[in-house]
Amino acid sequence: MGANSLPTDATLDLDEQISQLMQCKPLSEQQVRALCEKAKEILMDESNVQPVKSPVTICGDIHGQFHDLAELFRIGGKCPDTNYLFMGDYVDRGYYSVETVTLLVGLKVRYPQRITILRGNHESRQITQVYGFYDECLRKYGNANVWKIFTDLFDYFPLTALVESEIFCLHGGLSPSIETLDNIRNFDRVQEVPHEGPMCDLLWSDPDDRCGWGISPRGAGYTFGQDISEQFNHTNNLKLIARAHQLVMDGFNWAHEQKVVTIFSAPNYCYRCGNMASILEVDDCRNHTFIQFEPAPRRGEPDVTRRTPDYFL
Amino acid sequence: MDSVGSDEAVIATNDDASSCKRCAVALGYWRDRYISYFVRSTDRKAPEINRGYFARSVAIKMLVDKFIEVTNGNCQIVNIGAGFDTLYWRLVDEGKSVKGFVELDFPDYDVKLNRNNLHAHTYKLTGVDLRNITDVEAKVKESDLEYSLPTLFLAECVLVYMTIQKSSQLMKWIAEKFKSAFFINYEMVNLGDRFGEVMLSNLRSRGCDLAGAEACQSTETQRKRFLDAGWAGADSYDMIGIWARLPPEEIARVTQIELLDEQELLHQLFSHYAITTAWTDHRWSDVQL
Repeated sequence: MGANSLPTDATLDLDEQISQLMQCKPLSEQQVRALCEKAKEILMDESNVQPVKSPVTICGDIHGQFHDLAELFRIGGKCPDTNYLFMGDYVDRGYYSVETVTLLVGLKVRYPQRITILRGNHESRQITQVYGFYDECLRKYGNANVWKIFTDLFDYFPLTALVESEIFCLHGGLSPSIETLDNIRNFDRVQEVPHEGPMCDLLWSDPDDRCGWGISPRGAGYTFGQDISEQFNHTNNLKLIARAHQLVMDGFNWAHEQKVVTIFSAPNYCYRCGNMASILEVDDCRNHTFIQFEPAPRRGEPDVTRRTPDYFL
Repeated sequence: MDSVGSDEAVIATNDDASSCKRCAVALGYWRDRYISYFVRSTDRKAPEINRGYFARSVAIKMLVDKFIEVTNGNCQIVNIGAGFDTLYWRLVDEGKSVKGFVELDFPDYDVKLNRNNLHAHTYKLTGVDLRNITDVEAKVKESDLEYSLPTLFLAECVLVYMTIQKSSQLMKWIAEKFKSAFFINYEMVNLGDRFGEVMLSNLRSRGCDLAGAEACQSTETQRKRFLDAGWAGADSYDMIGIWARLPPEEIARVTQIELLDEQELLHQLFSHYAITTAWTDHRWSDVQL
């Protein structure tokens, strides 16, 4: 389904909503409900391993840092002029999870072929109640309906993507229960992220310097060594695993002799960590270019609502 | 001289600290049945913030308990910049008595708390500008503190808001007057890196100038500030080291309360805070975790 197949009125409405969201103004509950209905129709037809063509720009965690997402689009190009693949963690921790996730879902509905949005471990009912998205929905809408609508939608987000059959993209990492991409294609993803098992691992695991599988300090997923990455890439004819999930100070970080790369797109994460962000551009010829960026000056935010991050004071 | 505006911003840091403590207490990190009288509940804080306040609260309480124990309660406690600290009532609850308990804080606090110079048998709340030693000395005298008694001074993120000149003047004055003093200072360290730079700028944007940041460059600069002010000895450990000294069963308990999915965030915070202890009396040098 192309963008042009949408009725004109709906397209106009949606364009208006997107431009409102670009100003960091949330939609009404009713608008969110209608938008998520449409998004669900699109997402449910996508594969657990969603095929993506180059050129595409691959992005990591955003975490509600709306103004930094706006900076990402300034640097990487607007959607749909640039194709995007986001690897999850749109909500929690930042102050604008609602605006951030609504904008990305809005773009998905408006330009379904131009943007791919994968599920991260924070796109879950349980995690969002601890890390801020739930509280933010209550604060901005006065009830939990919008949280419910979005977390129900998250169940439909694809888990992984495959760029030109050679770059495997996902939020977390590999799983001891998964050997091939077909293993992933075959399970039913429409559910809350489980506490264990292959679906959980894809969203929670991390690469590690140690060989083999290890226990993750996160309490979910595994750590996996270079031997595991090499075997997986070999079995599935992959050149690279691109993933997000971990704060890396330069915005990207190579691991496992360039078999795995971590991309993190929330600069100065939690408004506190002091890190750079990056995105990965894959061009027509499948060349890779990392673009690093810092937080934009917070010009969109009025001083009165500007909060400072938590410290021990 | 610091402006009134920045004093207000510094006072506001107490509100933040108190609501974070209330959040952690409500989640079950530690017990404090008084904190909810001081602050309204707020949004849930991130797990690394809850754990960080837990580590600070428990470590300080353990040190306070040890000091009371080694002095057999024959001591005084002076809580500097106490804000809404509930330590006094928690000690009373536990049946731990001391000869005197004084909270020194901005004079404005009295108004805010509506309990101007609240005095009980052992408990006194006194408004004072810590940058004015004459005032401090007068208030200490009014509070019936005895210079000769073993005295515990407690400061949590207080000295950093004073210029080095003013805080060292206070340190020197205490060391000269109190011959058997013990100091617990919870404060930032390693402010020279990128994280520290972001912290300084974030706090500046809310009107708080960390005028004493120079003493917060490392655990060594924290130790040195006391030694330079005439204290007999000092130790300083960052919160990574403190965390490792907390009772393992307590750590096991609190890590079950909520999932912390990014250990590095806690690690980054912990490496930027420290507990420094200092003493004018060598008898207290083994009051440690």
